[in-house]
Amino acid sequence: MLIRILKNSFLKRPKAVLLVFLSITMGAAVATAFLGIAGEVSHKMALELRSYGANILVEPAAVEGGGFLREADLPKIKTVFWKYNITGFTPYLFDVAEFSAGAKKERGVVAGTWFSKLLEVPDEESSVQGIRGIAPWWDVQGDWPKGPDEAIAGASLAKRLGVSVGQELQVSAKGRTQRFRICGIVTTGGYEEEQLFAPLVTVQELLQKQGKISRVQVSALTVPMDDFGRKDPAKMSKDEYEKWYCTAYVTSVAKNVEEVMAGSRAKPVWQIASAEGALLQKLNSVMLLLTILALLASATAVSTSLMASMAERSPEIALMKSIGADRFQIVTIFIGEALIISLAGGIVGYLVGDQLAELISRSVFNSTIASPLWLFPTAILSAFAVALAGSVAPLRRALLIEPVRVLKG
Amino acid sequence: MRALGHRAGRTLLLLAVLAMASSLATALGIVSVSMGKRVAEEVRKYGANLVMVPESSRLDVGSGGLNFGIVSEPAYLQQSRVEEALAKSGVKIDRSVHLRGALQLKDADVMVEGVNFAEVRRLFPWWQVNGAWPAAGEAVIGNDLAAQLKLKVGDTLELAGAAQTLRLKISGTVATGGEEDGLLFLEVSELQRALGLEGQLSLVRLMVTAGGESLKRSAERLQSLYPAAKVKEVRQIARTSEGLLAKVKLLMLLVTAVVLVSAGSSVAGTMSTTVLERGKEIGLMKAMGGTRWEVMLIFCGEAALLGVLGGLAGYLFGSLTAQFITRTVFSASAEIIPWFVFVSLGVSLFLALLGSLGPMTSVFKLDPVKSLRGE
Repeated sequence: MLIRILKNSFLKRPKAVLLVFLSITMGAAVATAFLGIAGEVSHKMALELRSYGANILVEPAAVEGGGFLREADLPKIKTVFWKYNITGFTPYLFDVAEFSAGAKKERGVVAGTWFSKLLEVPDEESSVQGIRGIAPWWDVQGDWPKGPDEAIAGASLAKRLGVSVGQELQVSAKGRTQRFRICGIVTTGGYEEEQLFAPLVTVQELLQKQGKISRVQVSALTVPMDDFGRKDPAKMSKDEYEKWYCTAYVTSVAKNVEEVMAGSRAKPVWQIASAEGALLQKLNSVMLLLTILALLASATAVSTSLMASMAERSPEIALMKSIGADRFQIVTIFIGEALIISLAGGIVGYLVGDQLAELISRSVFNSTIASPLWLFPTAILSAFAVALAGSVAPLRRALLIEPVRVLKG
Repeated sequence: MRALGHRAGRTLLLLAVLAMASSLATALGIVSVSMGKRVAEEVRKYGANLVMVPESSRLDVGSGGLNFGIVSEPAYLQQSRVEEALAKSGVKIDRSVHLRGALQLKDADVMVEGVNFAEVRRLFPWWQVNGAWPAAGEAVIGNDLAAQLKLKVGDTLELAGAAQTLRLKISGTVATGGEEDGLLFLEVSELQRALGLEGQLSLVRLMVTAGGESLKRSAERLQSLYPAAKVKEVRQIARTSEGLLAKVKLLMLLVTAVVLVSAGSSVAGTMSTTVLERGKEIGLMKAMGGTRWEVMLIFCGEAALLGVLGGLAGYLFGSLTAQFITRTVFSASAEIIPWFVFVSLGVSLFLALLGSLGPMTSVFKLDPVKSLRGE
């Protein structure tokens, strides 16, 4: 009986049912899309902000120049406690050298580094590390170096030497000379424009510093510094220290890296680190507030459209009452209707919302999004809840109505 | 009007949803507009996006603590010419002036930098100063340099320059993780006197607020106003900031679109439901000799009235919401944008009319006799 009533009630007034269904679907879709993105957005934004460059600098611990770090320690960076937060790192070996191209001679800095090197670490996933990963703002004309005797010249160095892409130059240091083919010229607006960047191995050979590096730039995902993070770790109690170490503050990640690099000192680059923290915090709270706003709005939109559709049916309720239906039966019929519509709306809405989240994530961040599993039951349950909330008020009013008055019109 | 008054409950419901939809449009719109500005401001914390150096000098600025202090023939910028160029350019610019030099401490050279501390505090909020910011006759010293020279806050040191000897008290140490860690900072005018370089600067860092015109154009304009200088874009900061801003704006736009479309269709649906149920009324009007046009006008008039009221309420409510969001997040008030009244009115009217017109056409097809009989 109940099923027959419900079936007829759907089939006889498809338009009204469709409208309610549509609005529930939309509501569930917005809820799903927002909840799906909100969680991911902070992570995506954090990754996005990493393109500002390295936020940790590892140097030899000795204050005076002359100390070196060991290249052999580098793979250990991918094995530290915070290894998943470290998005990239690049080693450098610098020294002053004589450059000559044709008749022109200049003193400048030669830097040995990794451009994009496949790093194999035992028991860990292999990854690609180097400048291309941590400094996406480099504007390179020409190509990135592939062979060991190819190099990238800084724009102003290249201008002063009068070399262009494809030409060769000689680098001499400590009585040794190495020829490099310039395969690219880099413009950054910074100190990089004065240097020659060549593969690390070749520069180590040239400078007779095999296996040594002078600096490492590390790019790490961190959480914003708060009051606790700013405390001096040396003055912390054991528990506090534990908590500090297990929070991804830029200082604790730096400490982490420092521990694996022998004879090193890691310091946060505050220009990058502090701005990043502040920005992330703000973006997160905007997303949170917008999510709340959107959820509230879609909930009201859905429940009002339910209210409107219920209200028009008071004659029907009156009729049922007059032919002897008790309250319970009427409530079952109407709530049952609402539940069926909201179940269908919730499922369709979830699917649509999932696609929306995917679309937004793809067009903004160029990456896919893995929507969490708990979203599916949440979408359906919230559709139920909203549908019920929208039906209760008009239903109660309808139940109080005198059948005679309503039926008379 | 009567029609609206008669069905007060229904009218209120419709008004509420229309107001909700248009306030959502207003709030999201205002937030995304001011988001752009606020994030641009936040991004400023990453530092200067242009640098101005003398044409002949080598550029050895940067972040990441990679500085080699390449000693080349010193070249200087004229402070007065810089001021003039900045004033003429008409670009909204914040700047900080720098003069690099070496002073003698006992027998060793110490790299010092003359700055204006008020500018530094504004442009480089990431400086972590331990101790106090310096007053006249005081200096702050980079962390690493302090360790190297075994100096601490409160010490006084005597520095000899080409023209004059300075006695400076160290008021604090600074840590940035960059090249600043190895420098001593003092007031630029004091350093100019000590070095005998009155009115000369070695570097000006500029912070151009991303406006209508691109950073590159601003750089070119400044360059043409002061040909002896070289104006460069700090790509690390400038490009990344531009990219980030574009992403944030796109995100806000998409989010706004999604919410508006869904809430809008829901609202239009509600409108339709209420019109659909009034088939009887339309039938009656027709039976009494009302033409299609007249009926349509009555209904549209009703919808338009609702739309206008809803739009106005929505604008007010939406502005408040936007204000609340920007205040809590950016602790700054969002500007009141008057032309958003039209956006909010537009949204509300559009939804109201869309919601009533669609079903109305189908209702018109009904035979008045049938609809009155309730079939």
